[in-house]
Amino acid sequence: MFHGEDSPPDPGDDDLVAMCHRGERQAFDVLVRRYMHRAYQIALDFTHDGEEAKDLSQEAFLRAFMQIKHFDRRSSFYTWFYRIVVNLCLDHHRRRGRFLRERLDGRNTEPAEEKEMAGAPSTPDQEAMAGEVRRRLGMALDGLPKNQRTAFLLRNHQGLSIPEIAKVMETTEGTVRVHLHRAVAALRQSLTEFA
Amino acid sequence: MVQQSHSLRPACKDFEEHLVLYYYGDCPAPERDKLEEHLKECASCSRFLEDLRAYLPLIVRPKNLPQAFWDSYYRELQKKLAALEEKGAWWRELRSFVRPWAVPALGAVLGLVLALGVTFTRGTWRLWERSNTEEIPQEIRVAANDIDFFEVMDLLDSIDLLEALEKTKSASTGSQRL
Repeated sequence: MFHGEDSPPDPGDDDLVAMCHRGERQAFDVLVRRYMHRAYQIALDFTHDGEEAKDLSQEAFLRAFMQIKHFDRRSSFYTWFYRIVVNLCLDHHRRRGRFLRERLDGRNTEPAEEKEMAGAPSTPDQEAMAGEVRRRLGMALDGLPKNQRTAFLLRNHQGLSIPEIAKVMETTEGTVRVHLHRAVAALRQSLTEFA
Repeated sequence: MVQQSHSLRPACKDFEEHLVLYYYGDCPAPERDKLEEHLKECASCSRFLEDLRAYLPLIVRPKNLPQAFWDSYYRELQKKLAALEEKGAWWRELRSFVRPWAVPALGAVLGLVLALGVTFTRGTWRLWERSNTEEIPQEIRVAANDIDFFEVMDLLDSIDLLEALEKTKSASTGSQRL
């Protein structure tokens, strides 16, 4: 965003959090606008359901709003907030685990929204092949242990760095590297039969 | 574009983890240099890296939702936040009333009121009991006091009945003798 000489720059997350601590409600609205896209996207990656993703990401904002006075700013706001989103998604996944597995097992065709993925193939054959690859990868991703899946989603989909993921997952960077490596190896393995 | 023309082969064990980190740009400098040297001569690791570049972006969902969706999302969230704030204000008011020092103070006041109440109303309870007695009609109270009299009267009735039975019995034995 362009700022003229007179317009103040957008406040950073730390400033906004400090304003929230002082009871300035508008500061939280700025944080909402800043992170709603990413919160929704994480929840969507976990749930594959637009409505659930909306509910979960909004619930994360409500929790953040209630707890922000206790946020001690030792980590960055978005690390703290991502942790809330991820934990909510994992809880939701645990509760709905059986239902999701049944739905995945019974899924013969990919959902319409998955057809919008990147790398549009040019021929029908390539399109079919890419669709099959995506389907296999998606199923393999859903079948990963939660830590591997979380590490992979945060790195591959959200672009968080290893240290940031370690803070979100409250673990060490070495552990995150191992989770990420295993996740990628498992995903690649899921394509072996297809190759 | 997906080109699935080769079989998937594993990378060298020692480099596989670093290849993943290298793909994401997270491989630290010393390992990265070593890996780049290795990639020049190792076909398996080069292929592994190609696979990562070909497949991993496929899982990402570039979701370009319309602005209307985000406007609606934001409005909905604002409503939820407002409801939460309202609930929070009510709860804060309640909590501000029930402060830590207020609990023992309230307990002490209640104790004092109870003690004073017991002290000053002791006579009142007795008066109440007495006045209660006074409200009972005179006839009933007399009858209640003379309950022994009625019991004696019942006993006398029983004696009369026994005497009558005795007379009947002796009359019947006399007629048998005759």
